[in-house]
Amino acid sequence: MARKSKARKIALNILIAVVAFAILAVELYPIAITVVNGFRRDIHILSGQPFKFSQLTLRSYELVLKNAGFRLGMKNSIIIGLLSTGISVLVGAMASYGIARFRFRGRNGLAYSFLVFRMLPQISLVISLYLMFSAAGIRDTIGGITLAHTSFNVPYVIWLLLPFFTAVDRAYEEAAMVDGCSRPGVFFRIFLPIVAPGLVVAAVFAFLNSWNEFMYALILTGVKAKTAPIAINGLLGGETLTWGQACAAGTLMLVPVFIFTLGMQKFLIRGITAGGVKG
Amino acid sequence: MSSRKPVTDSPRAGRPEGKARTRAPFLFLAPAILIVFAVLIFPIIFSLFVSTWDWPLSEGAGIRRFVGLGNYTALTRDPEFWNSLKLQLGFIFIAIPIELLFGFSAALLLNREFFGSRIVRSLLLLPVFFLPILSGMTWRFMLQPRYGPLNALLISLGAPEITWLGNPSTAYAAIIIQDIWRMWPFMFMLLYAGLTAIPQELMEAAEIDGAGYWRRLGSVTIPLMIPTILTAILLRIIDALRVFSEVYVMTEGGPGSATMLFSLYTQRQAFGYQKVGMASAMAIFLLIVSIVFALTLVRRNMSLDVLEEKAGG
Repeated sequence: MARKSKARKIALNILIAVVAFAILAVELYPIAITVVNGFRRDIHILSGQPFKFSQLTLRSYELVLKNAGFRLGMKNSIIIGLLSTGISVLVGAMASYGIARFRFRGRNGLAYSFLVFRMLPQISLVISLYLMFSAAGIRDTIGGITLAHTSFNVPYVIWLLLPFFTAVDRAYEEAAMVDGCSRPGVFFRIFLPIVAPGLVVAAVFAFLNSWNEFMYALILTGVKAKTAPIAINGLLGGETLTWGQACAAGTLMLVPVFIFTLGMQKFLIRGITAGGVKG
Repeated sequence: MSSRKPVTDSPRAGRPEGKARTRAPFLFLAPAILIVFAVLIFPIIFSLFVSTWDWPLSEGAGIRRFVGLGNYTALTRDPEFWNSLKLQLGFIFIAIPIELLFGFSAALLLNREFFGSRIVRSLLLLPVFFLPILSGMTWRFMLQPRYGPLNALLISLGAPEITWLGNPSTAYAAIIIQDIWRMWPFMFMLLYAGLTAIPQELMEAAEIDGAGYWRRLGSVTIPLMIPTILTAILLRIIDALRVFSEVYVMTEGGPGSATMLFSLYTQRQAFGYQKVGMASAMAIFLLIVSIVFALTLVRRNMSLDVLEEKAGG
């Protein structure tokens, strides 16, 4: 009896493993085909046979890396991503510290409104931003689109950091203050080094938010400050089908995304829901 | 440990900080408040203002004119507005339940150790982090009539070739399929985390009481999972209300306006028809709906006090 149930258990486990890997294969196929198409020639892509992966080539990569539009987009995406990440992490960490360490009137209201701001649809803001940026002359500038990206990254970082910040014992700061260190001194010299892991997580996710962003870039940039996603969309827009190049470009954009997400398994749920989801 | 009390300011009372002490939180919060004001609060107020004007995008398209609530009443008479609202609601009501079903089933299936279970669980999340525009792009490719893999598969099974993105109803199905593909693993991720948090003793107790798998599922697992499921649905609704880039890359709202979801129609109003006032009215409408859902989520699920208790406990 016992042996029979053990055999059944093993059989069930094998069955589940088979089903699980089948689901995984179906689920990852669209990603795999994107990556593979980057190494296929357009003529082979357009001939169908989606399961035939021979005659791979780096031609699409060569073309897309020579493509001035994509190179500019990539450069802009990196600059905008780093700038908006830097600003958001600095400003967000300060605000998060303010919320975590002080009691003041309106504290709850302020904290929760940051959370709500994070969830607002971009389309509700982008029209005003377009008019404002046009009037201020910062449409299609790196500064303008960076500022637009801080609109979702600052509230995001504040709530992503809160659990990291509230977990720190305040004894460290108190000791430093007894030694005569000022509040800002405590924050920058004592507190930030302690929460460095949290800052790294926040920086990675903020960068990815900016890296993946499409709508603001579509509407608030033109030729000068356009980002890589806009350049990829451009590759798809023309009458000549350049799937190979678009997929090569897409794969290049995917590299940091997958490195970070696979490297940060532990923090994925926190990163996606940012803000102490109970339970 | 005396410092474990949920007191937030320095408990060392009597330090000669005086005014600096009350100003301190503001100094830390000021930059964030400034940014939020500049790129969130002011644009919202400005949108409200613009939504009461007939406001052409460019000078050549006419003159600005105050119309009060005219844009809002005009929207109620605009069939395209109702169409986009209908498509948006359909998108939410079709995609999210299916994502929930897939995600929950997968969470139940994968909530055990088997050969490769960890790899499956982590790789399954990749679509969630796949860039939305790449998701739109790859599905556009998958659904191409002659060379798209999905059609190739269907044809090999003897089905007729479908011009997915050229046909209104199949294009609408396509954007939903795309969303389900990308987001059911998100449901899986949250629900799996919820499942692993169910105390093992409860399951064992039910098993000892003679409850079979389905019985345990119905009377222990699902009731305990309801809060997590509601949270996951709320997060998905808030996210689905803002869907734009995937659909824009896949269909640009077409063919005709078959996939013109709310954000896409708003964008079309502003930058296609150049009616910024009308578009702002739509933006405000969507904003209010989103705030309602966001507040519901925040009230249900987010708590500063809980964060602090966790930290202190």
